Amino acid sequence: MRSIRQFLLLGALAVLTLFSFIAALRGYQSSMQEAETLFDTQLLDLSQLVANLDVGRVNNDFRLGNNLAFQVWEQQSLLGASHQAPAIDMTPRVQGFDFANFDGYRWRTYARFDEDQNRWIMVAERTDLRFVLAENVVLETVLPILLGIPVTGLLIWLIVSKGLKPLIQLSADLQQKPAHDLTPLQPRETPRELVPVVNAVNGMIQRLGAALEREKRLSADAAHELRTPIAALKIQLHNLAQEVDAHSDSFQQLEQGVERMGHLVEQLMALYRTSPERFDEACVELDLHALAQEVVARWYPLFDAKQQTLELLGDRCLLRGDPFALETLLANLLSNASKYTPEQGRVQVSVLRNADARVEMVVQDNGPGIAAADANHIFERFYRSEHGSHSVPGCGLGLTIVQHVAELHHAEVSVGPSDFGSGAAFRVVFPLQDPR
Amino acid sequence: MFLVAVILILQEILEAALLLSVLLAVNQQMGPHLAGTRKLTLHWYAAAIVTGIFGAALFAWAMPTVSEWFDYAGQEVINALMHLVVIGGLYTHCLLLQTNARQTPGPHIGAGVALIVVITLSITREGAEIFLYINGIMGTPTAVTPALLGAGLAGGIGISAGILLYYSLVGFSRVVTLRIGLVLLALFAGNMAAQTILLLTQADWMPYTPQLWDTTGLLTEYSVTGQLLYALIGYEATPSLAQAVSYVAAMLLLASTPLFRQSWR
Repeated sequence: MRSIRQFLLLGALAVLTLFSFIAALRGYQSSMQEAETLFDTQLLDLSQLVANLDVGRVNNDFRLGNNLAFQVWEQQSLLGASHQAPAIDMTPRVQGFDFANFDGYRWRTYARFDEDQNRWIMVAERTDLRFVLAENVVLETVLPILLGIPVTGLLIWLIVSKGLKPLIQLSADLQQKPAHDLTPLQPRETPRELVPVVNAVNGMIQRLGAALEREKRLSADAAHELRTPIAALKIQLHNLAQEVDAHSDSFQQLEQGVERMGHLVEQLMALYRTSPERFDEACVELDLHALAQEVVARWYPLFDAKQQTLELLGDRCLLRGDPFALETLLANLLSNASKYTPEQGRVQVSVLRNADARVEMVVQDNGPGIAAADANHIFERFYRSEHGSHSVPGCGLGLTIVQHVAELHHAEVSVGPSDFGSGAAFRVVFPLQDPR
Repeated sequence: MFLVAVILILQEILEAALLLSVLLAVNQQMGPHLAGTRKLTLHWYAAAIVTGIFGAALFAWAMPTVSEWFDYAGQEVINALMHLVVIGGLYTHCLLLQTNARQTPGPHIGAGVALIVVITLSITREGAEIFLYINGIMGTPTAVTPALLGAGLAGGIGISAGILLYYSLVGFSRVVTLRIGLVLLALFAGNMAAQTILLLTQADWMPYTPQLWDTTGLLTEYSVTGQLLYALIGYEATPSLAQAVSYVAAMLLLASTPLFRQSWR
């Protein structure tokens, strides 16, 4: 079933139409039979009237109307007749009803023998006219049934719409509920049939809230539990460096492994902190250029250590966003750019309004760039390029976080060649926002 | 005049409405639920109905000329030919829905075209009779109102029966709908084949064969129930041997399609 409204409307209308039309048809048939009986009774009465006529005064011009005819016979002598009547017996001399053809029409006839006057009284009525008359009368009752169907359809549509209103309202309430709003549904009016649905949805929201709370606690606990031993490991490594050869391969690999583990924990925490449930409450109006300035200043030492040039272009660009999430986004792009750009390389950050007046943040470098085979996968979780990036430390979550933060802000993120001849350019284009 | 209009138009509308309902219901149950099948969108049906109505008007307009073909047996022969094409279209539709859907992505064009042929020709054949009847009635002013009322009543009954049959069929589980729907399509094909024989016999293109039975006393074809059964399963009170044989043969043809066999597996 595609639509409840359509099903109820068409189904109810079809049932109503089918049964009322069949009833009308049956009504027509029985009414026509009743009309026949009525007309026969009238014919019988007419024969009585003709029997009482002074037929001696009646000539052939006597008119009962075009649809009626009569004859009065005394043995073989025609005492009187209407103008349409034939010169011979219009019906056999048998008492009762029959049919006959004369004057170019078919007639319903009635013959009776008047014993007092020793006469045959014969009366007749045209069948076509009495059928049309009867049918017109009967169809007067069928017409309202036929015309009533469109009106009934409209009324059923209104009733179905009214009946479905609470369901449509509930659906709208659910659709409009923000992602972070985990308060129970409280519809203004809940019909008895929808109470179990509302209760079930509220129960689910409650369980979801509890699950999110558990996840939040788990993440906080995990961060605490993991950060402390990693910090301890780093201290132990520092101490160990005094006792063993700190330049040995094993020691270097151990140190890099601990660094990677620490980085992974931080990235996982960043991914959690930018969840949709928390996004709306963290959203504020901010200047993206100023935010980029802060991040660039914070990350400058990393670039300086590799003798890389880090530039920031652009001007004040206001938008609504989560400052922490946007900082994480830019930090990840800068970290990537620094990692993949060779020493003395060039990295440029620009925050500008593009031709469509949309805010655009671009981070580009003159590193090796992104291989075509990797371009479709680099935003996937834990994806690590097979094109010579194994020497670069990382956990494969950085660009996933970038895309995640961009999606939260309804921004589009894309990668392409940089303007420096070689290297990659990551472009984040934010949607137009209503001025507030 | 009213009753004549009801019976004549009900006979024409009911058959097309029920066929359309069964095809819609069967196609509704297609898709990933039955291996190798894919449902057709409503656009195919809309196109078929519109083409059918235009076809009916054209056929009615050309009827005086068509009737003179084949030694004045043109109407019977052309109608019989349309019946045969409808049977072929039904067979092709059921066949293509099942077999080729595995290899070709997107809506299946062949099955869609067969569907359009079936519905268009059914509406053309039935609709032309309605156009001719209404055109004839217009010459008798006193008969116009009863005839139009009868046409409205018959149209309402036919379309309502079609809607209720569709919702009844899709109300069942997919397997049951397909089973009932495909059996009804096979019965419909049988009905078409029996009518073809009748038309060709009337046109003297086929010899008369013995009458098998006479159930007029039990149920006449001209009652509302008789009309409904005629449209649904091709009920005939006095079938001939050739009609019965062709009825069974057409049913077996539809039953031989993989779709039919799979639905009963």
